[in-house]
Amino acid sequence: MNEFFKKFNTTLKFTALILMIVIPFFLYQGAMQDSNFTVNLFLGLMMVNMLFILKKG
Amino acid sequence: MTGLFILKWMIAFSPILTVLILMIFKNWSGSRAGAAGWFVALIAASLFFGAHPKLLAYSQMKGILLSLNVLYIIWAALLSYNVVNETGAIKAIGIGIERFSADKSIQILIFGWIFASFLQGVAGYGVPIAVVAPLLVSLGFSPVVAVAVPAIGHSWSVTFGSMGASFQTLMAVTGLDYSYLAPMSAALLGMAAFLCGIFCVHVFGGWKMVKHSLIAILIIGIAMSGTQYLLAVSGMWTLGGFGASLVGLLSGLAVAKLKKYNRTPPSQATSQMSLAWALSAYFILIVIVSSGVMIPWVKEFIGQVKLTFSFPQIVSLKGWVVEAGKGKAINVFGHGGALLLYSSVISFFVYRSKGYYQPGALMTILQKTIKSGVPTSLGIVSMVCFAMIMDHCQMIYILADGISRIFGSLYPLISPWIGLLGAFMTGSNTNSNVVFGVLQLETAQLAGISAALILAAQTTGGALGSMIAPAKILVGCSTVGLSGKEGPVLKATLRYGLIITGIIGIITLLLSFFS
Repeated sequence: MNEFFKKFNTTLKFTALILMIVIPFFLYQGAMQDSNFTVNLFLGLMMVNMLFILKKG
Repeated sequence: MTGLFILKWMIAFSPILTVLILMIFKNWSGSRAGAAGWFVALIAASLFFGAHPKLLAYSQMKGILLSLNVLYIIWAALLSYNVVNETGAIKAIGIGIERFSADKSIQILIFGWIFASFLQGVAGYGVPIAVVAPLLVSLGFSPVVAVAVPAIGHSWSVTFGSMGASFQTLMAVTGLDYSYLAPMSAALLGMAAFLCGIFCVHVFGGWKMVKHSLIAILIIGIAMSGTQYLLAVSGMWTLGGFGASLVGLLSGLAVAKLKKYNRTPPSQATSQMSLAWALSAYFILIVIVSSGVMIPWVKEFIGQVKLTFSFPQIVSLKGWVVEAGKGKAINVFGHGGALLLYSSVISFFVYRSKGYYQPGALMTILQKTIKSGVPTSLGIVSMVCFAMIMDHCQMIYILADGISRIFGSLYPLISPWIGLLGAFMTGSNTNSNVVFGVLQLETAQLAGISAALILAAQTTGGALGSMIAPAKILVGCSTVGLSGKEGPVLKATLRYGLIITGIIGIITLLLSFFS
């Protein structure tokens, strides 16, 4: 697992950055449409992404 | 203050404290510490300050809009630097300057003060220390002095350097216009410029050398701080640091020709690239940015596409209200980052047509840009997002309220220290402005002090924090073989950083009596 993270370090971080930028747009869309499901789903995704950054950022 | 208020204040402070502890004592990167701060802010906001999923959703969207404004400039600045550096132009500029004087104090001023500020103006993010330190070692300075001098020398230009990314952030988080913020910020940073020049020379030669170079410091200091002030207040703040250091470079080269500083023969080193060609990318940058800012029809034409989002009124479960309004708009083609991007592309083709690139240079430029841009961006986004959570749940207001109750009218004395602390912990003036910008604004409003003055002190402290930020010192030390021996450098810069910040605090306090 560690080998994988080392090999694709920049790619994974770049992906995490893209997700960090994209997820809030879905959060906004969900909140504007009053969809609790969408908001909770993307908040969960954001937490997973932040957890990745916390570990490997 | 009641016990309950103190408890609430401490909980509100916990995300910032988390970032501080992790970065200072655990040596975590800005991105990891920012993510940890985000989780602490999320938990504190949800458990104690009435955050709910929708509030979090809107706050994160606002955070991303702010971040994109800053990231646009950062990525374009990094690309621009790599486009120029890949040709060997940065080295050529260094050699070109060295040929003007062999006087040690002038070399320190030109390289450590002016050229480092120039690099801050075009790149930033540790580049000034990383580039200047090895150049100073090659001129015979000790590695500790070689790192400490540019660390001190470039710090005054951080706010308006990197195309004004830190100043852009300050405007974005506070929602205030440049016409309100720029004059006081440029004035305080201008005063800091003189102090940085003096202490740059002091690191190497003590007060005797300061006395020897005082005329040079005065002439160059007036040229740089005056230019920065004029550019900032006239709306060209994106060119504030760059333009100031460019004028400083010209005045420095003129000062180097004074008889007083020209008693030993200068270096005869030569470079394959002429100084004019090396600087051509920056001439292109000046033309494009000034056209985009100063020619009305160009400004109007490129400013037609703006990305903006509307937000409804947001009320926390504890009743804290954030009024409805539009988020930070992104001027897609007229943004400072876009102007920098245009000039980078043109510069690339100009250099390529003259054959200055090795085969595969484009890939190298892109790889280097991504490699240095990603970690910085992750840190900025995570910190902006946690600052937005705090802002939407009254946490920043509570922090500001507590500080204003303790310090009252003496608050201006400590406001630059807060900026310094933010930059020290995050390694960036930009991040410091993100974390503490709104806090300082609200504290100033509560204490009835000019917000422009307090925010100027915040960003000046944040800029000065660059000289003591471990993240930047580490970069500098790694380029002169001091990796693992950063202590002596940090000791030197810490001493000067604290003195300059103390002086700025006193100036801010005195100015608060008149504003």
